Amino acid sequence: MTSSSLMLGLTLSYRPFLDPINAYDAWYLLLLPLALGISLAYKAVRVKSMADFPRHVIVMTMQIIIAMISLGVASFVLIEYLLPALLPMKM
Amino acid sequence: MNTEQSNSQAEVESFAPLAGLLAILIPGAGHLYMKEPGRAFFVAVGVLGLFFGGIFIGGIDVVDRKEDFVWFLGQAMVGPIAFGVDSIHQNHFKARGSRDQVYRSGYPNETRQVIKDPTTGQSIAIWEPRLDSDPGPPNTKSIGKVNEIGTLYAAMAGLLNFIAVLDALFPRRPAGGRRK
Repeated sequence: MTSSSLMLGLTLSYRPFLDPINAYDAWYLLLLPLALGISLAYKAVRVKSMADFPRHVIVMTMQIIIAMISLGVASFVLIEYLLPALLPMKM
Repeated sequence: MNTEQSNSQAEVESFAPLAGLLAILIPGAGHLYMKEPGRAFFVAVGVLGLFFGGIFIGGIDVVDRKEDFVWFLGQAMVGPIAFGVDSIHQNHFKARGSRDQVYRSGYPNETRQVIKDPTTGQSIAIWEPRLDSDPGPPNTKSIGKVNEIGTLYAAMAGLLNFIAVLDALFPRRPAGGRRK
């Protein structure tokens, strides 16, 4: 390996917080920690007693995930089936 | 439920400017000031976790006051930390293209150089074509879904901190005590 190719390899290596992670094929999994983070911060402010906090966080996280999946399914059905049936494209 | 019980459970809203100011400066600090360390901890973990999680996912490029101004309005509510990250991004990772004269992130075939402006004498950063011996740009611009989700993480952090700031500024607590 020449010094120039070694340098190129070093500069192209991943640098946390400076370069994006390679999650282009599994981006949808990043919605799970997003839902958890939102629930953590929101419920920390909203619950009356911190004794109920873990249960509220789990419930809200599941609600967000189920809502996101439902919205995705609804959008798919709307675009792929309902709209073509209601407004067929003339070719 | 008798009157005494309902009175003890009644909530009183007050105004706490110092707690609100602390909450703006550091996520969770307002609740810590109000002697609610558990809530403060989880507000800080949630807000800062989302903000730095977004930067981890999409790189520092997701916090950009000039190129993504509308998203930055949300991110800015994280507080001075968001402005600091943006300042570092603008001043240490961007430069002016030597050909297009656009102030931007670098391409993989460019290297960032700081030179003296011959007319003003001030130091300016420019992108020059990269030779084999040159380092590449200091960061990589994120694109596509990874950029979108990283930006969304950081913006959600700001919006959640806004809720926490309001809760610290106008605390609604049980009469004669604080929340458990």
